[in-house]
Amino acid sequence: MNWRVRLTRWDLILLAITAVGVVLAVVRYAGGIGSVANINNAYPWGWWVGFGIMTMIALGGVGFTITLLVEILGRHRYHVLLRPAVLMGLLCYASAIVMLMVELGRPWKVWMILVSWAPSAALYEVGWCAFLYLNVLVLEFAQVPLEELGWGRALKVLRVIYIPIMLLGVTLSHLHQSSLGTLLTLIPHKINALWWSDQLPLIFLFSAMMAGPALAILEHLVAARWLGFPPNMDMLAGLARIEAWLVGLLLVFRIGDLVVRGAVDAALSGTSFAASFWVEIGFGLLLPLVLLMMPEVRESRAGLATACSLVVAGVLLHRLNVAVFGLRVRHWETYVPSLGEIGISLGIAAGAAFVFGVLVRILPIHEELPPTSSAPESRAAAPAAAAWHGARGVS
Amino acid sequence: MTTPSAKPKAMIQDNTRCIGCRACMIACKSWNNRPADHTEFFAGPGYQNPVDLDANNYTLITFNEIVTGAQPDWVFGRQLCMHCAHPACASACPTTALTKTALGPVVFNESRCIGCRACMQACPFLIPKYDYENLNPKIHKCTFCADRIETGLKPACATVCPTAAISFGDRDDMVAEAKRRIATAPGTYIPEIYGLDDVGGTSVLHLSSVPFEQIGYITGLPKTPMPDLTHRWLRVTPHFFALLYAVFGALTWIMHRRSSRAESKDKDHTT
Repeated sequence: MNWRVRLTRWDLILLAITAVGVVLAVVRYAGGIGSVANINNAYPWGWWVGFGIMTMIALGGVGFTITLLVEILGRHRYHVLLRPAVLMGLLCYASAIVMLMVELGRPWKVWMILVSWAPSAALYEVGWCAFLYLNVLVLEFAQVPLEELGWGRALKVLRVIYIPIMLLGVTLSHLHQSSLGTLLTLIPHKINALWWSDQLPLIFLFSAMMAGPALAILEHLVAARWLGFPPNMDMLAGLARIEAWLVGLLLVFRIGDLVVRGAVDAALSGTSFAASFWVEIGFGLLLPLVLLMMPEVRESRAGLATACSLVVAGVLLHRLNVAVFGLRVRHWETYVPSLGEIGISLGIAAGAAFVFGVLVRILPIHEELPPTSSAPESRAAAPAAAAWHGARGVS
Repeated sequence: MTTPSAKPKAMIQDNTRCIGCRACMIACKSWNNRPADHTEFFAGPGYQNPVDLDANNYTLITFNEIVTGAQPDWVFGRQLCMHCAHPACASACPTTALTKTALGPVVFNESRCIGCRACMQACPFLIPKYDYENLNPKIHKCTFCADRIETGLKPACATVCPTAAISFGDRDDMVAEAKRRIATAPGTYIPEIYGLDDVGGTSVLHLSSVPFEQIGYITGLPKTPMPDLTHRWLRVTPHFFALLYAVFGALTWIMHRRSSRAESKDKDHTT
């Protein structure tokens, strides 16, 4: 393991955004939620829950999706994506937990969920599952630093328990990804007919599963460029083919759900809700589906990056539509997120991205790269490696 | 504690009798130790003050300007916790900080609250409020004066109403009384008891002379309990967990066996 990381411009930008978030968080803890946030008595969740928790957990679904593909369905050609996916999952969940600590009125009481018995509450299940799954992610990922540190005994234990723990993680993910949707099925009177559905649990689960491969492909492409290894385009094209199926199935499910619920009129109504709905469906599902169905897109970096960015943005927009934009309370003032709310949530996300960038450079997360831990001469030896190290900022 | 009757209680809010004096709001503040507010006249609709329920106001008389005859008239409505038979707020609470008691009140246990505000999001009547400025914030809502009714007293608001617009008693009796009022004075009341079976029935029953949506009530709510919506999914969760774990375990085993067989086959070929 090489602890010396030279910070790049990107690191500094991420750190600056994180710093802004930290300052705003200090204001929140010193003056209460009301001092930075626009959330109010009619809109108690807003941006923090819609983006900081719901979207982050959905994107964190990359961990269980790739694990499911590689470890359970035995698609070993995608194995190179596993470590980055687990780390992204871990950091997304960690960000959601940090967001929760900002968002909860009494964060010091959060352990209360673990000593309660509230099986009728979706949030109880989400809390338990997310807590357990975060531990699973830590145990899964811990293998990487332990290998580097050479802690053989701990590593042995982790490898023995790996399969049951991995299965637990994938199962828990199915439960709480869907339960986040269950949470919102309780408020049909608040969520616009375009997004409220009694099938929200399945929509949340499927869209998290759809976000997973898209995020994994994006990460692979970005890492390849940033760290300087050739992207494995064959492998990505294969995953993109799977992704096309996932996008297509969700698109069919969403439209079918809309028709079955008789909400087609609302979709054709010409309101801003309908516009946001069609942006979500058109740019988040339909366009990426068309793109991913074309072999030339699946085989091109730019094509894949475009299609997968659209998918991820579509999932983000779905979570915001269902939990923020499409959620309206009759007779009450409307809600627009404050800069404080957005700043804190972006600060957390930027912090997670920074940690990801650092860990990718000091730990063997990308198998495509030569090991960083071995003897110094191996690093000095290859000129190609020197070029990589330059790009990676590892001195 | 001795109570005259251990049957579930209910309150009738007879808006046709309300004169908008707001004595109920004062009694409520007084019993629940809520501070006075610095409010502005005409900040809300007409003389309605404060504008909405909030952390300091657990009940509110709403002023609704309605043209019933030649002249516009004030028709009053009242907001307070409905104390649902199957409360969405309590079902959404991950720490059981909100619970439904046998006598009817949905009560808040401050020591269990983590401040997730799921109850506020869940409530179909938009009742629970929060003190966002507080560093140790709490959920605020009408308690149905649970501490009073346990000892056989009426809720504070019901003791002060000068026109008997607020009645309190066993729910069965209150339902019968509400029906009797509508039946005996059909010209005064619309033939609807708000809360009789809305969201599965509530402990507060509202009567009105005009349709409820005209006086700002949230209407069109289902007649079935709100928690049914989530229970449908949540009750299968343990089974779902076991099923998925087993299926994934079996798949993993099959795939591992398949790949190790393929490997040994490869070895056979090479050796």
